[in-house]
Amino acid sequence: MKKLGAILMAALMLVGIVACTAKPADKPAEEPADTTVAQGKVFNIYAWNEEFKGFFEKYYTVPEGVTVNWIITPSDNGAYQQKLDEALLNQANASDDDKIDLFLAEADYIGKYVDSDYTMDISKIGFTNADTMYEYTIKAASDVNGVCKGVSFQCCPAAVIYRKSIAKDVLGTDDPAEVQAAIDSWEKFDAVAAQAKEKGYYMTASFAETFRAFSNNCTMPWVDANDNLQFDPQITKWIEQTDKYIKNGYTLTAGVWDAEKTNQMFAEGKTMCFFGPAWYYNFSMTNAMDPEKGCVGDWCIVKGPQAYFWGGTWLLAATGSDNTEMLKDIFETFTKNEDVCTKLVENEGQYPNNTKVAEKFANDPNWGNTMILDGQNDTAIFAELAKDIKWENHTNYDQILNEGLQNKLQEYFNGSIDYETAMNNFYQLIKETYPNIKLPAA
Amino acid sequence: MEKIQTGTGKKLKSVSYAKWGYIFIAPFFIAYIIFTLVPQLLTIYNSFFETYRIGLQQVGPNFVGLDNYIALFQPDANGTILILKYALNTMILWIAGAVPQFVIAMLLALFFTSTRLNIKGQSFFKTVIYMPNLIMAAAFSMLFYTLFSRVGPIQALLENWGVIDHTFDFFAIRVSVRGMIALMNFLMWFGNTTIVLMAGIMGIDQSLFESATIDGANSVQVFFKVTMPLLMPIFVYCLITAMIGGIQMFDVPQVLSKGDGVPNGTTRTLVMYLNGYLKTKNLGMSGAISVIMFVITGGLGAIVYKMLSAPYKDQNRKHRERKGNVL
Repeated sequence: MKKLGAILMAALMLVGIVACTAKPADKPAEEPADTTVAQGKVFNIYAWNEEFKGFFEKYYTVPEGVTVNWIITPSDNGAYQQKLDEALLNQANASDDDKIDLFLAEADYIGKYVDSDYTMDISKIGFTNADTMYEYTIKAASDVNGVCKGVSFQCCPAAVIYRKSIAKDVLGTDDPAEVQAAIDSWEKFDAVAAQAKEKGYYMTASFAETFRAFSNNCTMPWVDANDNLQFDPQITKWIEQTDKYIKNGYTLTAGVWDAEKTNQMFAEGKTMCFFGPAWYYNFSMTNAMDPEKGCVGDWCIVKGPQAYFWGGTWLLAATGSDNTEMLKDIFETFTKNEDVCTKLVENEGQYPNNTKVAEKFANDPNWGNTMILDGQNDTAIFAELAKDIKWENHTNYDQILNEGLQNKLQEYFNGSIDYETAMNNFYQLIKETYPNIKLPAA
Repeated sequence: MEKIQTGTGKKLKSVSYAKWGYIFIAPFFIAYIIFTLVPQLLTIYNSFFETYRIGLQQVGPNFVGLDNYIALFQPDANGTILILKYALNTMILWIAGAVPQFVIAMLLALFFTSTRLNIKGQSFFKTVIYMPNLIMAAAFSMLFYTLFSRVGPIQALLENWGVIDHTFDFFAIRVSVRGMIALMNFLMWFGNTTIVLMAGIMGIDQSLFESATIDGANSVQVFFKVTMPLLMPIFVYCLITAMIGGIQMFDVPQVLSKGDGVPNGTTRTLVMYLNGYLKTKNLGMSGAISVIMFVITGGLGAIVYKMLSAPYKDQNRKHRERKGNVL
């Protein structure tokens, strides 16, 4: 009896401790006057950086009485997805105010969420896809049955952004048309790299700079229907090219996001070409825009050797959201609202997911990017490239495979290990992460 | 009313306060069972299953017996058994940090407790040497990463002096990354060890030191014949806790090598390996690693304890025997 009493009391104490940390469940069931479905008061957004948050706060007016909660987890080492996955798996049990309403996903892993029941059909909340949206952005956000689960606020055709002064020194010209003619195939690009090297420049500043230009042109997915890993010829070509570039000193051993690379964007940098889409300006080129050490206006953009696209952020509607009207409203604002899309181009240097707005800028002789470029109409270049973007050969494993390959090969490229060891490390990473993927026989 | 009637008489005679003891220790035991013992048992249980996630889709759990353990000891294409490699890494990293940690801590503890030296401003020094322990390991590690990175100040300084050229990379060299990790662990933990050892030394009767000195023992003899044997229980405690911490080494190498254990996995520890499997919630494989680590920790703990305390116990026994003979 005594023992039982002791245990009971102790259990009570423990319950007390635990209960103190839990939130009191006082959710008033209020009835808004003008809507048919009760809408929540808290809007939760999961994201991995502040990029969209900035646009959201500037261009979207949050309905009165709604608090927006940003849950931002960096994507390093897959942390963002781990946190998001836990929250989604718990979505059914979470209280309405704790449920995810909207979350952001990137091209490399959007399929994982779109093909699940954790995202909802946005036509059910009253959003219809507009003709002005780029086809591939809709396809990427649609599941295998073609049900669309979200939208993207950007379209990400990517190109080559080059330093005019360096191009002038190396090629004798900084005119976009002539520069493009000089680098319109990989063979020519390599030849220019050799020229740049002679003059003491780097062609690119990261071993993985050209990765996306190759990987987004793959003709087969990383993993086939039977879970076999396969190397696309484009990936092999990238490895060969990079190997050559490192050995010849055409590029640096830094990763695409490393400071060593972005430092090359300062005026004193020695690198001629950078590969990126419109989001690259704001996200990666802040050094170039540095008021003291930067070099705004010394940049131009051309298609480069191979058309491709890179990344892109999609906004996905989470199943169970109690703020469906606001969701629809956000989707409309960032895709259909021409005013907002115009501002995204004008003020933020983005390329919008709205063909009408994009065409308007592309055909405007007075429009030019002075935020970083020399006043060149980059929207016109992107508009041309955007027409050809196709969404194909993607798998849910893309992120771990694309980033894993780069990380593991970096050690080979910087000379610390041999190629076989690096590839073996890559296979080991796959084995550890997805035991179901069948690796090529050694 | 009824209760009072039935209970009186008997109870008054045997008032027991023991129940309060149980009540007061119960929260710990209950918390231990819920938050430690049950998860531990579940870990062992899970290690016999294939269970992981592909995206949001759960695979398993399927019972696979000892397959996870067998998979862990399977050599890779190069013939390396990864878990052994990572165990060796962990051991090297720990020993490289722990040896200076204990040597310096022991010296400092002796200096601070020495009545002959009588160092002034002791509390100041004690605070300072303990300070690095207050910094979050991840932050400390980040600091080192920033200092030694390709664009960091140390690289720039050494390049200016002409010691290295710009292709040099601290993180591509095994010795330098391991050295940094060992140095950080040493800096973070020597203060803590110093304070514990000092407490141990101060617990020894001062008259023993005095009499040893009067008998003509020099300081080295005093240390080995008086201080060390009497400090042994505390020393063993320090060593075993440090070793358990060392086997679980994670945050410093994880942050420093961006989770990759550069170069070529030579700074990847067992827990980093385990953490790799947790990316896809692979509870089977990570459970198996946990169990192996548990066995290693237990085994090493027992060995250290036996090794270090055996001669000391032996001495005690002999001492008792001798006493008995005299009597």
